[in-house]
Amino acid sequence: MEDYKYLFKIVLIGDAGVGKTCLVRRFTQGLFPPGQAATIGVDFMIKTVEIDGERVKLQIWDTAGQEKFRSITQSYYRAANALILVYDVCSQATFDSLPQWISDIESFAKHKVLAYLVGNKIDQINSREVPSYIGKQWADRFEMRFLETSAKDAENVDILFYDIAMELTKDAREKDKLESDCTGFNISPNTKTINRCTACFKF
Amino acid sequence: MGSYIGMGQNDKQSRWGAYNGLGQNDKQSKWGHTLEWDKMISCQDGAIHWPGQNDKQSKWGHTLEWDKMISSCCGCCAALKPRYKRLVDNIFPVNPEDGLVKNNMDKLTFYALSAPEKLDRIGQYLAQRLSRDVQRHRYGMVVIAMDALDQLLVSCHDYSLNLFVESFLKMVQKLLECDDVELQILATSSFIKFANIEEVTPSYHRRYDFFISKFSSMCHSNNSDETCKARIRTAGLKGLQGVVRKTVSDDLQVNIWEAIHMDKIVPSLLYNMHDQGFVQVDLDNHRNEEAPAFVAETVFRDLVCRASFGNIKSVLKPVLVHIDNHQLWCQATLQFVVKCFKIIMFSVQQQYAYIVIQVLMTHLDSHVRSSPDIKSSIVDVLFECVLIAAGGSIGPSVLDVFNNLVRHLRISLDNKSTDVDKRTMEKKFEEAIISTIGEFANNLPDYQKIEIMMFIMAKFPQFTSEEEFGGKMDAQLQTMLLKTLLKVATKYKTVSMANAFPPEFLHPLLRMSLLDDPGMRIIVQQILHTLIDRNDNTPKFKHVVITKDISKLGLKLQKSARQDSLFMKKNGSEFYGCLLENMQMDSNKVDNFEALYCTMALICVEMGCTEILLELIRFALELQNIAINKLSLPLTHKCAIHALTSGFLNLLAQLAEVKSLATYVSGVIEIRRQEASHLLPDVAFNRANKPSSYPEVETLKDTWLFQQSQIAEILTELGHDVSRLSKPFTYRVFSSLLGGIDAEDSTLEKDEEERRRKEILQTFQTAPFEEIVARSESKSNHFHNKLNEILEMVSKHPDSPGSLRNTNKTTVPVFDIQFPELYVY
Repeated sequence: MEDYKYLFKIVLIGDAGVGKTCLVRRFTQGLFPPGQAATIGVDFMIKTVEIDGERVKLQIWDTAGQEKFRSITQSYYRAANALILVYDVCSQATFDSLPQWISDIESFAKHKVLAYLVGNKIDQINSREVPSYIGKQWADRFEMRFLETSAKDAENVDILFYDIAMELTKDAREKDKLESDCTGFNISPNTKTINRCTACFKF
Repeated sequence: MGSYIGMGQNDKQSRWGAYNGLGQNDKQSKWGHTLEWDKMISCQDGAIHWPGQNDKQSKWGHTLEWDKMISSCCGCCAALKPRYKRLVDNIFPVNPEDGLVKNNMDKLTFYALSAPEKLDRIGQYLAQRLSRDVQRHRYGMVVIAMDALDQLLVSCHDYSLNLFVESFLKMVQKLLECDDVELQILATSSFIKFANIEEVTPSYHRRYDFFISKFSSMCHSNNSDETCKARIRTAGLKGLQGVVRKTVSDDLQVNIWEAIHMDKIVPSLLYNMHDQGFVQVDLDNHRNEEAPAFVAETVFRDLVCRASFGNIKSVLKPVLVHIDNHQLWCQATLQFVVKCFKIIMFSVQQQYAYIVIQVLMTHLDSHVRSSPDIKSSIVDVLFECVLIAAGGSIGPSVLDVFNNLVRHLRISLDNKSTDVDKRTMEKKFEEAIISTIGEFANNLPDYQKIEIMMFIMAKFPQFTSEEEFGGKMDAQLQTMLLKTLLKVATKYKTVSMANAFPPEFLHPLLRMSLLDDPGMRIIVQQILHTLIDRNDNTPKFKHVVITKDISKLGLKLQKSARQDSLFMKKNGSEFYGCLLENMQMDSNKVDNFEALYCTMALICVEMGCTEILLELIRFALELQNIAINKLSLPLTHKCAIHALTSGFLNLLAQLAEVKSLATYVSGVIEIRRQEASHLLPDVAFNRANKPSSYPEVETLKDTWLFQQSQIAEILTELGHDVSRLSKPFTYRVFSSLLGGIDAEDSTLEKDEEERRRKEILQTFQTAPFEEIVARSESKSNHFHNKLNEILEMVSKHPDSPGSLRNTNKTTVPVFDIQFPELYVY
């Protein structure tokens, strides 16, 4: 019945208007919504991708950047397997508020969460304010992965999410191996039954 | 297959039993092949060969692929499927628009009921079909599958639901993950149906995290279509309610009260309650019951009333954080916050109401440095909450609550802003605190109110050792504290004076009535008024007037209790002394005199003037003496005191119903009216007075004054013992007690000396011989007593028995003998 092997929760955070929703939309629906309204609270999208022949379901929680929703969005950090911290390469201000976001991650997210720093809107070459190398330095300092994207041109968007999915799958597999050495109880019994059931017809 | 077959074997026995029983019914033919099916299972072979069966499954529900797969797999017909699968397949119509096949659904239900152990597999199969339909966007079928799931849920018994619920929830989640709005709403409504089922059997392995997250996210839907937005939000809200319902009563479930969940649920509810887009909802209109704002409110109430002692804080914290984050403390949205807290107060279990107040107080603490309008909003909300919580509002830490509020008052005064606008806001905050303190006090039993007043008095800067505050700050703080006191005092319902004025409260209060600031003195008098006045007579004594017939005033009189007159006998002198001191204050204004008059009149009315008549008259005469003898007083003050005395005596004589006295008083008043109207209230208390209203030369004729001797005569005729009338008042005690008027002491002392000299002079000039004798006698008695006291002390000394004998003879040698002995120490 389960149509996926792993389920990962990804949460996007960052200042208002850096293009979090557009990134998600681009990835899940393949479109760039012009004039996207500000997100309220939290938005939710789902996308199943295939990693090494296995279906991996990504639950993507797209949070509002506005300050006033901070408390509700923070409550979503905890469950996240991966966090994508987005800033706008055309706005120094959104880059400057990164330390605040980092400290939020430290205080609300799981200890070893996969964190990605993403500079969005690289399609606007002329109004760029934050050079690539500075973002990279920054990401290195906080042991985050780094990527620059453009939701508009679909640049690096898929790479971003696939990379996360891949990384998380790798981790999950290692964990599975560890666990199966001990108990072998990584998938719920129900799932097994069904697999066999379908298998019985294939027989 | 392992687990599947194992299960089949385990269940076989019971299934047999069930089917045998059924077999006797007329359904025999229908159920007959179950037997064969079970045999088939026991073959334990993956490839099941089922004997020919004339079933119609293939026509009904199967998709092309499915059929293809089956045929490719086993080259056999669809009939090979187990019975439950066929039953499930049968419920689906060929055409999704036809809806659920009712007949077949009944069959499925019946099967599920009679074979509950199959239920989980039915659920799995349904779920499997459903997820396939979702993927293929065959939403008609999805709706039907959900309908079937719902029906099975409702009709099946609780104990068999456990595993079925697993697949049910998976389905709901699956639908919630879809982009399609309709499916999300459908899933939510199914979930709500599920939430309404009361399960008795505990279940260990359910997780609602996703549901909470998703429903919260739905609550914040920003769909471009307004109606659609409202529907999604409503669905989200109801879904949250369902989760709360499901988890709150079940200890095995996730603890819904944990911050991680509450931080999602509470803001979602509040956001919908105040979201601008939905504000114009007419709550009386029943058509709007589905409006998010309305639903959110209902869910919020539901949540709050489920919260227990340990949990209520986890609801309140996100509420306050939300209000902070959305900056709702400002004036424009304060109404919403108040409404919110009213909801909380009305919904929360009564015994926990005080926690709400406690939390608000703590929140106020955390906003100590915030702008005054935020603080005053918090206090306003606090005030409303206290109103609702009534008796239980304070909780166990009464003094703590008051201490906190007074502290905030003080902090606000200490950090006074110079900006005018800001200062007005601060003042508003201060006023809000005061009325909140009053409201708190209102809910306390009376004896505690007195305690609270004493507590507040102890906060007066001059009574504490802290001297670093500037004088001006002191004054403001004192005024605020006095206002607070007044507020508390107005809430106090006096029954007996002795209870209202325990000595440890009365003394400091009277001391406070002698503060420097005339405005503050008025407040103290007002406190006295409200505490003394039991019959709401205060308004009638607001102005000093001479009423010919006091029955016109419409006073409410009550026979005073004996204990009140006893109280006055004990404490009267303190009252009088304090009032006399007050009269002599240079800074007095018209209002002060009026307030003092009111206090006097109230004492008359409340304490039983017949019993203490003599004392009151003595007091009135002393008052007159002050006006005559205290030269340093300005003329206006003297006139005011005279006028006040006349008004007071007029009232007193009529209240005590002493006709002869009343006649005498009105006689004097009449003379004054003709010859010296400036000694009557009409002139003396006329606020429009100019210096020219008063006579240029200060003269006093005896006929204008109330003569002690004549009053004594009248009273003697009535059988009173007038000997005390002539005794001087010993109210001096007060000024020595008072630290606050140190500054005035020098002038006061001068005045005092002068007054005393004049007094003595006058006494010896005018008083009858007996009185002088009595006076000097009392004086010498006093001296004698003092002497005796000293001697007694000395006599207690074991080493001085000899000296004792000597002292009995003469006084002078005593010291001669004693000095050397004293030096021994």
